Amino acid sequence: MKKLACLVAVVCTVFFLAANVATAQKPGAPWVFPPKHKTMKSTLKAGDASINTTGKELYNKHCKSCHGAKGLGDGPKAANLKTNTGDFSTAKFQARPDGELYFMSIIGRDEMPNYEKKIPDEADRWAVIGYIRTMKK
Amino acid sequence: MAVSLFAQEAEAPPEKDIRPVRNTFESIWLGDNQTVEVPIKGTFEWDILHRFGSTKTNGFDDFWGLFASSNLRLGFNYVPVEKLQIGFGVTKENLLWDFNAKYAILRQGRSGGSPLTVTYFGNLAIDTRSEGKYFNYPEYEFSDRVSYFNQLMIARKITRSLSLQAAFNLSHFNYVGTGAYNDQNEWVNNQNTNHFSTTFLGRYKITEGLGVFASYDLPLTDHPITDPKPNLNLGIELVSSSHAFHIFVGNYYSIVPQVNNARNLNEDLLIGFNMTRLWNF
Repeated sequence: MKKLACLVAVVCTVFFLAANVATAQKPGAPWVFPPKHKTMKSTLKAGDASINTTGKELYNKHCKSCHGAKGLGDGPKAANLKTNTGDFSTAKFQARPDGELYFMSIIGRDEMPNYEKKIPDEADRWAVIGYIRTMKK
Repeated sequence: MAVSLFAQEAEAPPEKDIRPVRNTFESIWLGDNQTVEVPIKGTFEWDILHRFGSTKTNGFDDFWGLFASSNLRLGFNYVPVEKLQIGFGVTKENLLWDFNAKYAILRQGRSGGSPLTVTYFGNLAIDTRSEGKYFNYPEYEFSDRVSYFNQLMIARKITRSLSLQAAFNLSHFNYVGTGAYNDQNEWVNNQNTNHFSTTFLGRYKITEGLGVFASYDLPLTDHPITDPKPNLNLGIELVSSSHAFHIFVGNYYSIVPQVNNARNLNEDLLIGFNMTRLWNF
């Protein structure tokens, strides 16, 4: 009986390690942006009231579970993804033009879902991106 | 003169935003009731709704009804065109199949336009239990199995956290079952075929993902013998990008609204769960 218990423990440990090796996260491949997203500008002015109301509300509903409350990529679902979600607070991320953030946040690719249907209003989408901009360190 | 023109410009009222408010409610359901919400075109929704046994009957022995015989509805909805949702569902109690439609007649604007959201909900339900066992009377017709529900809902998102809704409901049963002889030796049915009722509900969001809600369903029609009982819901709503989850207590055991509104005789509280999953196409 003891031997059987040991065998089960060893098998479980091997499976656990194998599963974790298999799901180790990799950094995302470079994004490829359509030309219009290189020059696209937010329709909201900096400090627009909707950024901290609508933007924050939508971020918390749709983005926080993976990207974390402060955009650090530490949301509860992040560990289950194959790709690292990145860190919104870094200068490198924040240096991206508005259109690129729009493409990454709303259009998406692979594990990053498309949010065009869930956030149908254009101004609301820019409010989310405005809120992501407030996460700069 | 120039000073006066500037003064007029400064006092110009801000432009009204007539875009529809986002999410008066977070789901098409709130406890036992429908809300005014109609998801965006292309949304497919799967609902799993549970109602458990009385919290009072057996207490701890059936864990306040959670381990008692429960009622279950599986529902599927789709929004093929903007403002219109169609769906169907199957419910364990009476093996009811229901087919429903919901249409957003008016939508509240963000700071202009309509001050209210007005939505119609209607359904047709068919009792599919076996004829020999449950419909074994000579004058039986298939239409006896059919019932209807019509609801006009009016709601307002008062603040970002608080939304209120009132609804006027008409339930109709083609067959009202048994009856009795009255004092004048005349046969009277237990109930009228039509039953009017009204619903009030409100939800307060504590955070973006967590809210509390309450609702009250009040019967209006006086029936010859059996009057249905009202329903009180108190519950918690948890929502995420694609899900809504409600846990609540209430008096309604049935899930199809005409059965709840016109035939509820339960006055004990019972626990209910709603789970919804959304996909966008």
